[in-house]
Amino acid sequence: MATPQDTPFPPSPPAESRREFLAGRAATAVAGALAVASLGGCGPASPPAQEGSAARRWGMVIDLRRCVACKACVASCKSENKTPPGVAYNVFIEEEQGTFPYVRRVAFTRPCMQCAKSSCAQVCPTGATYHRADGIVAVDYEKCIGCRYCIAACPYGARSFDYGHDYIEKAGNPYNEIPSSEYGASYGLRHKGGSPEGNVRKCTFCLHLQDEKGEYREPPACVRTCMGKAIHFGDLKDPEGVCVAHGEKMQALLAHRGNYRLKEELGNEPAVYYLPV
Amino acid sequence: MSESNTHAPAGGLRLLGYLVLAALSLVGLKAIIGTLADGHGALATTQHVPWGLWVALYIFFLGLSAGSFLLSTLIYVFGMKSLKPVGPLALLQALGCLLLGGLLIILDLGHPARLANVILHMNPTSAMAWMGIFYNLYILVVLVELYLAMRPRLIELASAGGAMSRWYCLLTLGSSNTSAAALARDQGWLKALGILGIPVAIAVHGGVGAIFAVTKARALWYSGLFPIIFLISALASGGALLTFLSVVTLKVPEEQKRKIVRLLARLTTGILCFDLLLLASEILVVFYGGLPHHADGWRQVLFGPYSWVFWGLQLALGTLLPILIVGGRRTGQSMKWLGFAGLLGVLGIIGARLNIVIPAQITPMFPTLPEAYHHMRYAYGYFPNSTEWQVGLGVCALGWLAFVLVRKCLPLDGQEHSATASSGGGEA
Repeated sequence: MATPQDTPFPPSPPAESRREFLAGRAATAVAGALAVASLGGCGPASPPAQEGSAARRWGMVIDLRRCVACKACVASCKSENKTPPGVAYNVFIEEEQGTFPYVRRVAFTRPCMQCAKSSCAQVCPTGATYHRADGIVAVDYEKCIGCRYCIAACPYGARSFDYGHDYIEKAGNPYNEIPSSEYGASYGLRHKGGSPEGNVRKCTFCLHLQDEKGEYREPPACVRTCMGKAIHFGDLKDPEGVCVAHGEKMQALLAHRGNYRLKEELGNEPAVYYLPV
Repeated sequence: MSESNTHAPAGGLRLLGYLVLAALSLVGLKAIIGTLADGHGALATTQHVPWGLWVALYIFFLGLSAGSFLLSTLIYVFGMKSLKPVGPLALLQALGCLLLGGLLIILDLGHPARLANVILHMNPTSAMAWMGIFYNLYILVVLVELYLAMRPRLIELASAGGAMSRWYCLLTLGSSNTSAAALARDQGWLKALGILGIPVAIAVHGGVGAIFAVTKARALWYSGLFPIIFLISALASGGALLTFLSVVTLKVPEEQKRKIVRLLARLTTGILCFDLLLLASEILVVFYGGLPHHADGWRQVLFGPYSWVFWGLQLALGTLLPILIVGGRRTGQSMKWLGFAGLLGVLGIIGARLNIVIPAQITPMFPTLPEAYHHMRYAYGYFPNSTEWQVGLGVCALGWLAFVLVRKCLPLDGQEHSATASSGGGEA
């Protein structure tokens, strides 16, 4: 559970300092797993409300033909963001179609869609959920009052309320001493009564992995862990934008064999595209 | 229900009732403190059903409030003189239910201490933020109206002497002018505030309806008819409670009381019938089209595991039976029966509110989402747990006790200046 899988991945053009960063990070991750990680060791902390780069529109292209349904995306998300039990940024959805023996399994990973016209940010009474310049939908934990309207409104079930559960309820156990690195580790350890407990939480495309310019030092956890390279992640605004993990051109991937988005008919305009099986 | 009796029931029974209410209140208070201290881990709500019993009770109380306020405007804005004795009672009901609902919804927040963010960092595209604004405005309107409606009686009682005169003197806020001109000015203000209050009350409760109606992710809610059904059922519920409370507490001459109660009961019944029409229209359209995600929510309501809430509580007990009672040749004349019909209407509305909030959320956003993550917060379905019931029932009991108490301290009836009528002594 607590061993982050910082697996190697093919180098990509934009991130130059990634390798040295990764070395530090991997060390931190291991240390974290051993429960000796300190807040300072978790990489450069960036402010939680950073707006990202307006030149970018980060998005995903998920190639279902490459997906082997290993669910490493879910596990790596858990260890990257240290989400408590009952909170899921990323889930793997499986459905069986047809009747035996003529059946077929449909399966896909579901991160937050980071919708251009998101229902959650629209209904949030305090503006705690907001759109960053780079299209990522983030939550300002200090503004969030925990009303859960966004959960009711999200058509993708991509948000979860932090009910304050821990994997091991006993106080002082090492698993609860590993800080989360989300939002630049500014929230770190959870504690009773303080954010993010009592807040609504969601996938942020691992925005804490961005550098000061808003470029990704390394891909989001689910992307870099995907062993079939099914999840491509990159800039959708730039027509020549490439996947920061695998180097393919995002637009070429989309054009290659057609694509679809989940619940397109609702008009939320997700930034996550699926390539059919 | 012994309380539906026009005359005070036996003292022992009454005492027992108060003891039960006090016990429920204490249990509720304990659960409230527990929730505030330990957070929401004690709730049964899930990531599919983020809103549960408390939200349903919140809209129940808000509906009772908006409904009775709008009925009070019949008196203060539209000059319906015959209902005047229930004016202060209607306004008190509007205020009390508003506060009870507010308590529940604040408890439901993950970070109740940040409530002010709704105003400080208001997001103008959020129906909930607008509801917050109008909620505050509405409290102000109701408070000032209640003061103005009671002012002449307060001044009268303050000068009457006795143990309570000090208290009444305090409540007058220093005002002592009961000249005809001052009374006329009061009426002018009441009318002006009532006129302002009508759109505000509609905005508060219609706004709560809109919170649900704009949520396209939950197809059952996503209907332009929804805020209207909200308002109409609010009127019906407010009228039903006011009918019940009038039967139980109003102290005016018997003949006048009979007139008032019958008028209220008939008004409420008419609104209930209109509510039924809207509901039928919505359901028929949904099932005729049969869009899967749309019909699914209603299928939960009509045929799901808790369909008895719709057929039994909301429709039979809460709508049809009251209509039959009020329409009945003998029962329609009896105070007891009309009060009982009012009580039934209120109980039925709880069913309606539960049916609004919960079934629409039961079906997860993807059918197999509950299997994708194995945890109680991702489990399919929802039923309130004991903590939620304790708080819900506790708040209802607290409200009832507070009403009993406040009634003794406020001149709620006898608006007609009958200085000699000892309206405080009948109870005890």
